[in-house]
Amino acid sequence: MAQVSLINVEKHYGRHTVIPDLSLEIEDGEFTVLVGPSGCGKSTTLQMIAGLETISNGTLLIGGRDVTELPPKSRDIAMVFQSYALFPHLSVHDNIAFGMKIRRTARDDIKEQVDSVAGRLRIEPYLDRLPKELSGGQRQRVALARALVRRPGVFLMDEPLSNLDAKLRVEARSFLSKMHRELQTTTIYVTHDQSEAMTMGTKIVIMNEGKIQQVAPPLEVYNRPANRFVAGFIGSPAMNFLELEVGEEALLDEAAGIAIQLPDRSRATLQPYRRRKVVLGIRPEGLRPVGLADSSPVSGANFTVEVVQHLGHETLLDAVAGPHRIIARVPPTDASAVGERRTFAFDMAAAHLFDAETGANLAQSG
Amino acid sequence: MSDIALARSHSWTAARFRRVLPKVLATAAALVLALIWLGPVVLIAITSVKSNQDFLSGPFSLPTALTWAPYQAVWNGLGFGTLMANSLLYATTGSALAVLLALVPAFALSRFDLPGKRLVFGLLLTGMMLPQQTVLIPLYDLLRTLSLLDTKIGLIIVHGVYGMPGQILILRGFMTTIPREVEKAAEIEGATDFQIFWKVILPLSLPGIVVGFTLNFIAIWKEFVFGLVFLNSEANFPVTVGMLKLNSDRYMSVFNLPAAGLVISQIPIIILFILAYRRISSGNFVGAVKG
Repeated sequence: MAQVSLINVEKHYGRHTVIPDLSLEIEDGEFTVLVGPSGCGKSTTLQMIAGLETISNGTLLIGGRDVTELPPKSRDIAMVFQSYALFPHLSVHDNIAFGMKIRRTARDDIKEQVDSVAGRLRIEPYLDRLPKELSGGQRQRVALARALVRRPGVFLMDEPLSNLDAKLRVEARSFLSKMHRELQTTTIYVTHDQSEAMTMGTKIVIMNEGKIQQVAPPLEVYNRPANRFVAGFIGSPAMNFLELEVGEEALLDEAAGIAIQLPDRSRATLQPYRRRKVVLGIRPEGLRPVGLADSSPVSGANFTVEVVQHLGHETLLDAVAGPHRIIARVPPTDASAVGERRTFAFDMAAAHLFDAETGANLAQSG
Repeated sequence: MSDIALARSHSWTAARFRRVLPKVLATAAALVLALIWLGPVVLIAITSVKSNQDFLSGPFSLPTALTWAPYQAVWNGLGFGTLMANSLLYATTGSALAVLLALVPAFALSRFDLPGKRLVFGLLLTGMMLPQQTVLIPLYDLLRTLSLLDTKIGLIIVHGVYGMPGQILILRGFMTTIPREVEKAAEIEGATDFQIFWKVILPLSLPGIVVGFTLNFIAIWKEFVFGLVFLNSEANFPVTVGMLKLNSDRYMSVFNLPAAGLVISQIPIIILFILAYRRISSGNFVGAVKG
């Protein structure tokens, strides 16, 4: 069993606190992705789990064992680094076998295990080569092989795809997902790429400034973000945010000519916020430009189209009204033109309301 | 040619001249410098294959007849074989000792946040800036106390320890270029600190070790003061001290023998430099971690 538990873990560098208080449960077999902007503490958290960074306070359990004070080799983990960290002076074979030689594994066993894992990752032809003679994708597979051969209880991966080109990255993502499905080994994966997080993880942990913002499966994070930060971080293009005043029945910005009708279910939630500002969040696909033939939408507003981006399978409209800027995702056949004033319908069923000060999702905070 | 065409031709020539002039001046300056550097070397080499009479009749002229007699005389007369063997011993073992002593401190200074690290650096640099003369007396005293005066092992230890600070700085510089993630990977694989040092850091520091060893070798080979002060027996003299004989009254008017001696003494350095030149000038190595 390889459940990972971080209990009130803190990390300080002198007087500077990077991780104030982090608690997280990762179940056995889960593929958990730690995602967040640079400097959010995700790599530090991974390094603490690996034992490469000390834990200032708190407890770390792996497989039910307290490993807080144990060195990396005693934690039953294997790690793949962003830069692969292959030993440049050793052949591919010796890179993979490095740990086994340290542990004084018998030569025959080493050969058998190296050959097996090399075959699985299709790197047998490269066993005698040095890392500098390999491509980026090949080096990545060697790094994976070195981790796989340990048969650890937990895989730790620190942005292992960020050095690959876009095409290879897509291939590598599906390879890693397939590998996880086969092995069912607990995997903790760090990335700053939210699309990587969405496509690979069974559970996403979004971090910011050393704190966990939300822990949930990908679709839940996408459809029910806990706060404004999560809502803005996940999804590409990012969620649109409009800071509006709460009126009797609508969200208003009179100066910009915006009045978006509130659905009945939201009016009760917003009662305490009457005449105060809240943040309306709506994803690009929740906006629909309304044609002349359509009746005026109940929840809609007029924006002027500033940029039209044709992506082939869809079109993105960049539009503005006063200080508010939105991006709408529309079908490729949409005929909006730059400079045109359009009415956009807001799908309020898919919209979110956030506290303007705390950023908390008002639907989830009651 | 019309006036316009002539004017154009003149302006084209002037522009070209202005473009080419800096390059010509730079090349000329480089040639002058090269002559200043190489001139004495070439003169010594020419003198070493002349008879002394030939030299006296024309110090800067080419030899009227080539002769290897000066080389034979110096080799046999001064026991050059022994001198060269001693220099080779001191340079090789002294450099090896300096590198060996420097490896672990260099690793510590490149990796760990040690208290007093800046002070250690300052002391290393200060020590290197002190002239040899400042340490002669205390070293002499120490060697005498340890009964190591006029011994080969004594001079080797002096060279090894004296060269250590420079080696620490060179090796530390190389070790800081080794990516930390490589060490972290080794740690995850279960390697102890010593195993990380032995199996990862040391092999990756080989270019730095070669550079440091070569530079130290050259320095010890050329070194004169320690050999002169700490050694008395001719059997222990390095080539720099042994050649002092050629400065005596006996060789007052003899010029070709010292020249031959100088040429012989520099041959190992030239060979070593040719072999290690690329490492020294590049100062880099293929780390092969990222991309």
